[in-house]
Amino acid sequence: MSENKELTDLSYLRSLTGGANDKMAKYIRMFLTGAPISLQQMELYALSKDWSGLKGTAHALKPQLGYFGAKGTEDLLKNIERMAGDQVDLEQIPASLENFKVQLDLITVELEAQLKALGN
Amino acid sequence: MASKALIYIVDDEPLQRELLADHLGNMPAYEIHSFGTGEECLAAIKVRIPTIVFLDYYLNSQVKDAMDGTEILQEIKSIAPAIEVVMISGQDKIEVAVNSMKHGAFDYIVKGEGAFVRAEKTVFNIYRFHKLTGTASRYRTLMVLFGIGMLLMIILVIYLQTHGYISKLPGWA
Repeated sequence: MSENKELTDLSYLRSLTGGANDKMAKYIRMFLTGAPISLQQMELYALSKDWSGLKGTAHALKPQLGYFGAKGTEDLLKNIERMAGDQVDLEQIPASLENFKVQLDLITVELEAQLKALGN
Repeated sequence: MASKALIYIVDDEPLQRELLADHLGNMPAYEIHSFGTGEECLAAIKVRIPTIVFLDYYLNSQVKDAMDGTEILQEIKSIAPAIEVVMISGQDKIEVAVNSMKHGAFDYIVKGEGAFVRAEKTVFNIYRFHKLTGTASRYRTLMVLFGIGMLLMIILVIYLQTHGYISKLPGWA
């Protein structure tokens, strides 16, 4: 398996926007602004054991990862949503959130590079 | 120039809202407005009634005490039952869809890659549905008018017959 495999794939977004660079850049910027806030919220919800809040935030962020082709990270978030929603395997949530944070950092680097490539 | 039909989009996630608004905005016959909460949408409906509302099922990821999609759906239907509401959610659970339809939603769309094309098709289906119901309503009116005409004709014939006018007509035995 390649070591450099990227987490994101913008082919869906490219097809949805008809390859319009300005729109793609706008969506990437919106994601880069919103996702860290959602992560911060999820961490706070996990700390305060607000499972309903954690489930809601994970649920809202989940499809956005799909639009950027980050299927693996979307699945990770789906699992966090399931654990919080069903209140099962709660002890695994901090590790899953940490894993999500690492992946989000990598996604951020990839998307920032894409923004540069799009001329923004 | 014909005025554009109005579509409201309600989603608490800005990116999701923008993606859908941009996609539906490609249809020239529609004017799109979007809102971050259901409460904002309800306020706008009281000013101007839209044809369609795309409504997120979960609306409290940003504002925890915000009304959820089902509550907003019921409010919309109580204010203006003719508004077609399309529920959108990341949940692909059947009970969520059934619950939405039970409260009067026109359709239910699961967020994901196919959602934007599906939303566009739903707009077209609503347009077609309204056109068909409009045609059916016109036919119903025509049938009622035809029935009234026939009734008047029968009354006239009875009147003419009871007063002996018909037997005086040429060719009437």
